[in-house]
Amino acid sequence: MKQSLFRLLLVAQLAAATLGLGACSDLLEPTPVQQLPDDKAITDAGSARAAAIGTYDRVQAYYQLNWPVLGFLPGENVRFNGTLNQFLQIDQNQLSADNVLITEAWTQMYQAVNGANNLIAALPGINDPLLPAAEKNQLLGEAHFLRALVYFDLGRGWGGVPLVLKPTRSKENGQGLKRSTRAQTYDQVLADLTQAETLLPDATTRNRAVKAAARALRARLHLYRQQYVEAETFATQVIGSTNYRLVTPYRAFSTAPFLSQESVFELTFSNSDANSMWNNWFPSALGGQFNFQPVPAAISQLNDPAVGGSRSALLASTVIAGATVTYGNLYSRSAQRDDPSYVLRLAEQYLIRAEARARQAKLPEAIADLNTVRTRAGVGPTTATTAEQLLLAIENERKVEFAFEADRWFDLVRTGRAGTVLGVTDQRRWVFPIPFNDLVADPDLEQNPGY
Amino acid sequence: MHTRTLRRTLFLLLWGGASVTSYAQSDPAPLVSGTVTDAASHTPLPGVTVMAKGSSIGTTTDANGQFSLPAAPGSALVFSFVGYAHKELQATGGALTVNLAADLQELSEVVVTGYSEQNRKTLTSAISSVKGEDLKNIPAASPDQLLQGKAPGVQVSANSGVPGGGVFIRIRGSNSVNASNDPLYVVDGVFINNTNLIATGLGNQVSSNPLADLNPSDIESMEILKDANATAIYGSRGANGVVLITTKRGKAGDKTRITFNTYHALSKAPKQYKLASGPELATLENERFINDGGNPALVPYRSVASGGRGLPEEQQTYDRLSDVFRTAQTHSYELSAAGGSAKTQFYIGAGYFTQESVARPSAFDRFSLRVNLDNSVTDKLRIGTSTALSRTHRNVSSNDNNPVGVINSALFTRANLPVYNPDGSYAKYGSFDNHLALINNLNNDAVGSRVISNVYGTYQFGKNLTFRSSWSIDFNDMYENNFNNTLILAGQPRGTASSFLSRDITLLNEQTLNYSVNFGENHSVQALVGNTLQRNTFQRTSLAGQQFPGNDLTTIASAATQTGSSSRSQAGLVSFFGKATYSFKERYTADVSVRADASSRFGSENRWGYFPAVGLGWRLGEESFIQDLGVFQELKLRASLGKTGNQAGISDFAALGLVQGGANYLDLPGTSPLQLANPNLSWESTRQWNVGLDAAVLQNRLVLELNYYDKYTSGLLLNVPVPRKTGFSSLVENYGAVSNKGFEAQATANWLPKGALQWSTTVNIARNVNKIEKLAAPITTGSRDIFRLEEGASLYSFWLYHQTRVNPESGNAEYEDVNGDGQLTVADRKLVGNAWPDYFGGVTNSVTYKGLDFGFTLNFEQGAKIMNMNRFFLVHGGTQSNIGYLSEQLERWQRPGDVTDIPRLTTNASSNNYGGVVQNLSDRYLEDGSFVRLRTLTLGYTVPAATSAKAHLNSLRVYVQAANLFTITPYSGLDPEVNSQSGVSNTKNFDWATVPQPRTLQVGVTVGL
Repeated sequence: MKQSLFRLLLVAQLAAATLGLGACSDLLEPTPVQQLPDDKAITDAGSARAAAIGTYDRVQAYYQLNWPVLGFLPGENVRFNGTLNQFLQIDQNQLSADNVLITEAWTQMYQAVNGANNLIAALPGINDPLLPAAEKNQLLGEAHFLRALVYFDLGRGWGGVPLVLKPTRSKENGQGLKRSTRAQTYDQVLADLTQAETLLPDATTRNRAVKAAARALRARLHLYRQQYVEAETFATQVIGSTNYRLVTPYRAFSTAPFLSQESVFELTFSNSDANSMWNNWFPSALGGQFNFQPVPAAISQLNDPAVGGSRSALLASTVIAGATVTYGNLYSRSAQRDDPSYVLRLAEQYLIRAEARARQAKLPEAIADLNTVRTRAGVGPTTATTAEQLLLAIENERKVEFAFEADRWFDLVRTGRAGTVLGVTDQRRWVFPIPFNDLVADPDLEQNPGY
Repeated sequence: MHTRTLRRTLFLLLWGGASVTSYAQSDPAPLVSGTVTDAASHTPLPGVTVMAKGSSIGTTTDANGQFSLPAAPGSALVFSFVGYAHKELQATGGALTVNLAADLQELSEVVVTGYSEQNRKTLTSAISSVKGEDLKNIPAASPDQLLQGKAPGVQVSANSGVPGGGVFIRIRGSNSVNASNDPLYVVDGVFINNTNLIATGLGNQVSSNPLADLNPSDIESMEILKDANATAIYGSRGANGVVLITTKRGKAGDKTRITFNTYHALSKAPKQYKLASGPELATLENERFINDGGNPALVPYRSVASGGRGLPEEQQTYDRLSDVFRTAQTHSYELSAAGGSAKTQFYIGAGYFTQESVARPSAFDRFSLRVNLDNSVTDKLRIGTSTALSRTHRNVSSNDNNPVGVINSALFTRANLPVYNPDGSYAKYGSFDNHLALINNLNNDAVGSRVISNVYGTYQFGKNLTFRSSWSIDFNDMYENNFNNTLILAGQPRGTASSFLSRDITLLNEQTLNYSVNFGENHSVQALVGNTLQRNTFQRTSLAGQQFPGNDLTTIASAATQTGSSSRSQAGLVSFFGKATYSFKERYTADVSVRADASSRFGSENRWGYFPAVGLGWRLGEESFIQDLGVFQELKLRASLGKTGNQAGISDFAALGLVQGGANYLDLPGTSPLQLANPNLSWESTRQWNVGLDAAVLQNRLVLELNYYDKYTSGLLLNVPVPRKTGFSSLVENYGAVSNKGFEAQATANWLPKGALQWSTTVNIARNVNKIEKLAAPITTGSRDIFRLEEGASLYSFWLYHQTRVNPESGNAEYEDVNGDGQLTVADRKLVGNAWPDYFGGVTNSVTYKGLDFGFTLNFEQGAKIMNMNRFFLVHGGTQSNIGYLSEQLERWQRPGDVTDIPRLTTNASSNNYGGVVQNLSDRYLEDGSFVRLRTLTLGYTVPAATSAKAHLNSLRVYVQAANLFTITPYSGLDPEVNSQSGVSNTKNFDWATVPQPRTLQVGVTVGL
């Protein structure tokens, strides 16, 4: 009995061992179930759509926190009230090349570029009856638009950057590619925007790119390049569209369900794709971390009926331990976590056009544009009469109109007034440092002087 | 003949005492009987092997130490038993009384090696053995922590004082940058998972130690395989060393012994943070205000009447830390039974262990069961199992790098701010939560279920050949449920909850064929071939809910918004291996081994790896020219060389170019590039050589073991930085090299080996020099990039600004201008030290006098640096408007002529005192972390057998023990044993609101029923 038991056991063992060996290839080549091989990523209608969504997601990633912070925190409306030194450096205009927020933004932005490059490379080769030409054009146009947006932001943040236009398949891709100049970077933005405008649909979608979004970004690009005629032209095209109007009250553009008629392009969040920006603004008594605190001067400006008007809605107050605490309330959806990131608003198009017109000595038209924005906020017409006064009035208007959006720092750097207004007199500090880690990894990269 | 007997002993040990009584007797000889006793205590010894010399006839003694076997009068009988010297006696006509003397010579013990066992005499490898006896009753949840200070070259350091939390363990340094540096753990032949499964974010701390699923008191012995000759048989998993854990088994012919063991302990944090009081804080703030150019009439802390926050002396001081730290309790209960007949042997153990953290509200408890069974189906066929079940429960809470952690909230919040609002609600300030809100409301449960089980069968072909097949599973399951109500920040605004189910399963099948033979008197050969198949599957399901109707409905089912996700990953490993040992007269020994591994994790081009090793041993002490000296009872030289691999710590699909889902927008599915392909990806390989010397002198009074090793790991599995313009930041490549060189020494002094008073001391010390030999580019890591890897430096090096002094005239900090450009930029950050000790080790002392036993264990580390982030945050010069101060801030510069290293208070960025470019990243906060710690101090009393017998007990021992009674250290933080971002690779000795190791007083009793 025992002998036969043993034989049985031995046979079972051998069988199992053989099976095991037979299963070797199974064992050694498991298939990933939650990732795709990169060469099979964009092959048909479904995967192309997913890749386009994925590129929006990368843009959303840097616009959620890092890019707004780099826009408002170096300005004077908001102070950093938390513990993290990378934010404190930005607040104090004392950036160093090892600032981890700078590194993170830079990394996310090039991820978005790679996403767009993958789409631009793969889309023309897709022949899927389920992907009609119109949609194919739309996806391609979106890729060009998003790439333009990222390169524009890279250009205004760091100056000229390496212009990668092909998808990355190996780490050798892009070897030898050095930084371009800021002008070359902006030229690439223009090229992409031109393409995008042709390809994109003329629709009213506000959280995906359409023709008007490309035009609005183009107006901004031309303003940054001091090409005032073009800036006016493209701003006019957006303003003239019946799809867009300034909403009243001011707070309406940032009120759920969002996507107001004022919005030309915003990045939508939802509870499952959450924006926790509110957490940085709310005091801890309301569940936030109170990292970004409006400074008293900004609070009084926003609350001043003659300056802020209805833009006082950007603020809210609560009583903590008997004292009233005022906090920023632009990002306020703590429960739903669906505050959008605002990228292009019609109010900015008015102010772009006002400035472009003022620069072209079209003062009455410029004043009219400025007053359109002021009227919506419930403040009286501007008292500026000369071009110089008007330009200052526009600058100040932007300060309150975009108080907590990604604007103030870039605006003052663009006009060369960051020294006068913010005291950052060392002009080398008007661009961000290239991340130290990337300089080490990329021999083609050169640091901005002064870092 | 000696050898064969020994081999039988080994075999007995291995299989829990196989019955060898059933050999057929063709020619009945007269029975010889007798009793075997311990020479010192004269107590009977059960389980002793008795063999008739020159035959295969043998037996083992029964529970009363008695035996009988057929043997012709005048023939020789050999008695052997683990831990005792062999004895040979002539069979006489009458009953024999045999006294076996305890063998003090450590060199004669049997050592468990990879897939086999070996006598330490013929061992050519560097293997440290720690007996379960030496580990018992240390109030730590996991067995790895018990190794602290016990084995030379094994650095063990708890990451924090959280029970059941992670442990930093390195065998002969760190070989790897991105792959894991943890050793491989093998429990009774099962390769176990050692990955933390807790998904709840806890401030960068590894929140669980999977080894805490094992009950330390089930352990018979632990062997630490250190050199390549010992570990190469584990191939691509052996490079970080291997810890073999052998659990207790029953012995043949043993009367069932039932043991009950319990202990109870009280623990406290041995030290507390020194915070500035309310008035001190106000004084500092006023000074900061004036230094920043503020109007002295408008300082923030002026009288309330003039619009201020009250004068400094009017400020209250709220003591929050006392609410957090408590006297914590530990209780342990264990019941075990071991015994067996000639055919079947068993060990059954059950345990319950519960331990509170000294910082509220964390706690850990564990139920464990173990069943080890062995049965001889026939003379040749043997089957058995080692099966352990455990259920752990952790009440986890975050500390360390987390502003809403419990210690953070108590430590960082300014001392003058009240704990409650006037309306009685919890007051919260800045980014911090209220510590009492957290203590009273945190609700994070992690329940682990673990099965580690192995079934085996062995079959003996003839005398020399044994086939073994074993099937194992390690099933590790972690189920977490967290609910954050609206009273704490994490629950804002209407309650949040999360739930994770994580499952990590390893299946293992293994066959070995073991051949063992002696040719004549002098030659012995042991050879083994085998194969293993392994599959590891990891899966996790996560759920989250937001917006709850109230604080009493805590499951996600009640949430208004419910989101979920799941993930899965798999890896396989196919291996073949073999080894052979040849020994001549037990004097010259040569080992050779090789393993071939194929891993699914690697690129198709590089799937197979081969890991060979050789070892040589020469027992010089057996040579007549040494014996003639009459000095050495043992003198042995060892040398080994080999190659091992490492594949742990990288993702299962690291070699593939992948695009991942989950990049969603507008609630539509999106994909985005995840990683670049590397079809050439392979293991990192470690070449190691080792030379060693074992010696025993002064009649074995002094036993020495020395080792020198040199390891070179190349083809590191490295996240090589790639230019970020590619859209990626790194790529896993085989690039770079790390070396570890060092020595280990262990000396055991048997001051008084015999008699009523016995005394012995073991000292071990080791040094390891770690160096990054080759790296593609410097890599920064950890919070604020405080750690940096550079070619030529050690891992765990701190990258900071070096403060040269505080200028006595201006009060401003001055930093070294490393590149001499007259400016302070990031280029002036440099490596200012590392977290490696120059030396580390331990001392174990044991004294017994009749029934009394007294022992202590010390462990020490010398020369490691610690980054004290508590000072980084709490000595902030005014830059942190929501954080209080340590008392140390009071030593700041105040007026010209002050000499101090704490600069003038200011928030001015351009001074770089605390902020600015330097961002407070100064070596001002880097400290010497050397320490000597009295790990345990024990006094026990074993009641004499006669007395305990009156109470119908077999044995009774009572003891008291103190753990961490004192620590001598220059370190200013709570505990120099700290690693608060253990979840971040390549960081160590980082102290940030971390729970310290407690000081514990314990009483216990062990009863043999």
